[in-house]
Amino acid sequence: MKRWLCAAMAVLVFAQPLDAYLQFSVMRAGQTRALKWQRIPVRWHAADRGAAGVSASEFQATMARAFGTWEAVPTASIAFQFAGFSGAEPFDDDGVSVLGFQDQPDMERVLGATGFLVDTVTGDIVEADIFFNSAFPWSTSAAGDPNRFDLESVAVHEIGHFLGLGHSALGETEVRPEGGRRVLASGAVMFPISFGRGVTHDRTLQPDDIAGVSDLYPDGDFRSQTGIARGRVTRNGGGVLGAHVVAFNPERGELVGGFTLNNDGEFEIAGLQPGPHIIRVEPLDDADVESFFSARNPIDLGFLVTFFNRLFIAPSGGQGETVTVAVRPK
Amino acid sequence: MTRGIARTVVLVVMLVFVGREASAQTGSTPSIRWVEIDLGGGFLSGAPLGTVDANLRANERTAQPYRMFTADHRFERSRQFHARARRLFGERWGVEGGVTIGHPVLRADVSADVEGAPGLAISETVDQYFFDAAVVMAFEELSLGRLVPFATGGAGYLRQLHEGQTVIEHGQLFQAGAGVRYPFVSRAAGLVRTAGLRGDVRGYVLRGGVSVDARPRPHMAISGGVFVGF
Repeated sequence: MKRWLCAAMAVLVFAQPLDAYLQFSVMRAGQTRALKWQRIPVRWHAADRGAAGVSASEFQATMARAFGTWEAVPTASIAFQFAGFSGAEPFDDDGVSVLGFQDQPDMERVLGATGFLVDTVTGDIVEADIFFNSAFPWSTSAAGDPNRFDLESVAVHEIGHFLGLGHSALGETEVRPEGGRRVLASGAVMFPISFGRGVTHDRTLQPDDIAGVSDLYPDGDFRSQTGIARGRVTRNGGGVLGAHVVAFNPERGELVGGFTLNNDGEFEIAGLQPGPHIIRVEPLDDADVESFFSARNPIDLGFLVTFFNRLFIAPSGGQGETVTVAVRPK
Repeated sequence: MTRGIARTVVLVVMLVFVGREASAQTGSTPSIRWVEIDLGGGFLSGAPLGTVDANLRANERTAQPYRMFTADHRFERSRQFHARARRLFGERWGVEGGVTIGHPVLRADVSADVEGAPGLAISETVDQYFFDAAVVMAFEELSLGRLVPFATGGAGYLRQLHEGQTVIEHGQLFQAGAGVRYPFVSRAAGLVRTAGLRGDVRGYVLRGGVSVDARPRPHMAISGGVFVGF
């Protein structure tokens, strides 16, 4: 078992990508509504049992740090409150958000998952639960344990889902001879495939994660102080669905990604720091397409990596020039 | 950046102050206390702005960058135009201030893509303004006929606007150079005291503004123009 997938399970809702960073959403009467919490602070409970090598109190402390990581994003207004230990199981539809271990040996590639109970009219998240698969070895060591997965890193990822974020495609992988993929590198905590054992980098959010949560829960000046890249990805004149579009800010070294989300090949990346950006378009071939889009979407993977032929200037508030990138087939 | 601008302003004020002191010292030659207006143009050399990698986090326990692609940035050579006002306080000293406007192309050469995308050059045109003040020192004793050499040095404020003019970048500039003046007219009375041609070569160091590695960057500039003294 060499491959580990951090899956987001959107239960009881029809989920489809809404925007950059793949926010979860619900469709109602033709209207798309992003899944998000309306009642802040968000109360959460920790399951009152641990797993091998992780006590219940260590688990709770680790979750608190992971929530704190998202809470500390200065451009997002989100807050959490630990409501106590609970004997309830994650994924009980009881209106109480519970995080805890569950033994799921049959889910041999799933380190953890998040499920929601939502109001399908408003898109409000009513409950979100996270389970961590205790079939895997876990560590809460500050320095990481080379033989165990870092609980805090995976928790930061799952809490991104808990907030309503989907997966980011900012990463590079290689196919393993025995099947599955191995991560070579990633540019977002919300990349769907976890780092290996002992790697603790995902305790820290990356610019793509920060842009995503700030777009979903914007704090005061976020929209007026960051810019939006909008445009199209085309192939032979038609739109490309599911292309991964990345904006790189060379002055800050930051990468923020988005996707083309309809058959016209339109994309939008919000939360870009003002200034020049290099826009790169690639096929969604570094993870299972199902990690990002539902299987019924015909995602085009048959084109070459292509750069926008100009520097894109993100304004301070609002949208920059419209970007059109014409890709060529492989 | 704000502190940097503040330092520049202080420096400019000091230059003006020094100039006034020079005026007091050379008050015995009021006949050449005139103001010159100088209009002209020239070229500003290109300059490297730095190379930066678009990095992901490698799947290693120690923090290692994993390069997705690299981009080498530079400003291309550009034409620029200037307008300066100069106050002379004698045969030797003067101060000048002015604005220089250019539209250099910011170019990024993208290469080494991890998925083999071919390299390409992408660009934008930046509106660039130098607002500067300088001390001017003339060397009459080295003149060749009417050709009078001079040296100059000063500092100022750098303002750059990206395309669309919605994003402004600020910085400082420092410059030193030398050139020659060739007056066609030179008289002690009348509205126009002097008029002629002027050319110089300056070295600039720009700090801040558009940059990817935050390092000061040198430029050379050559310019010429006409001046009229009142």
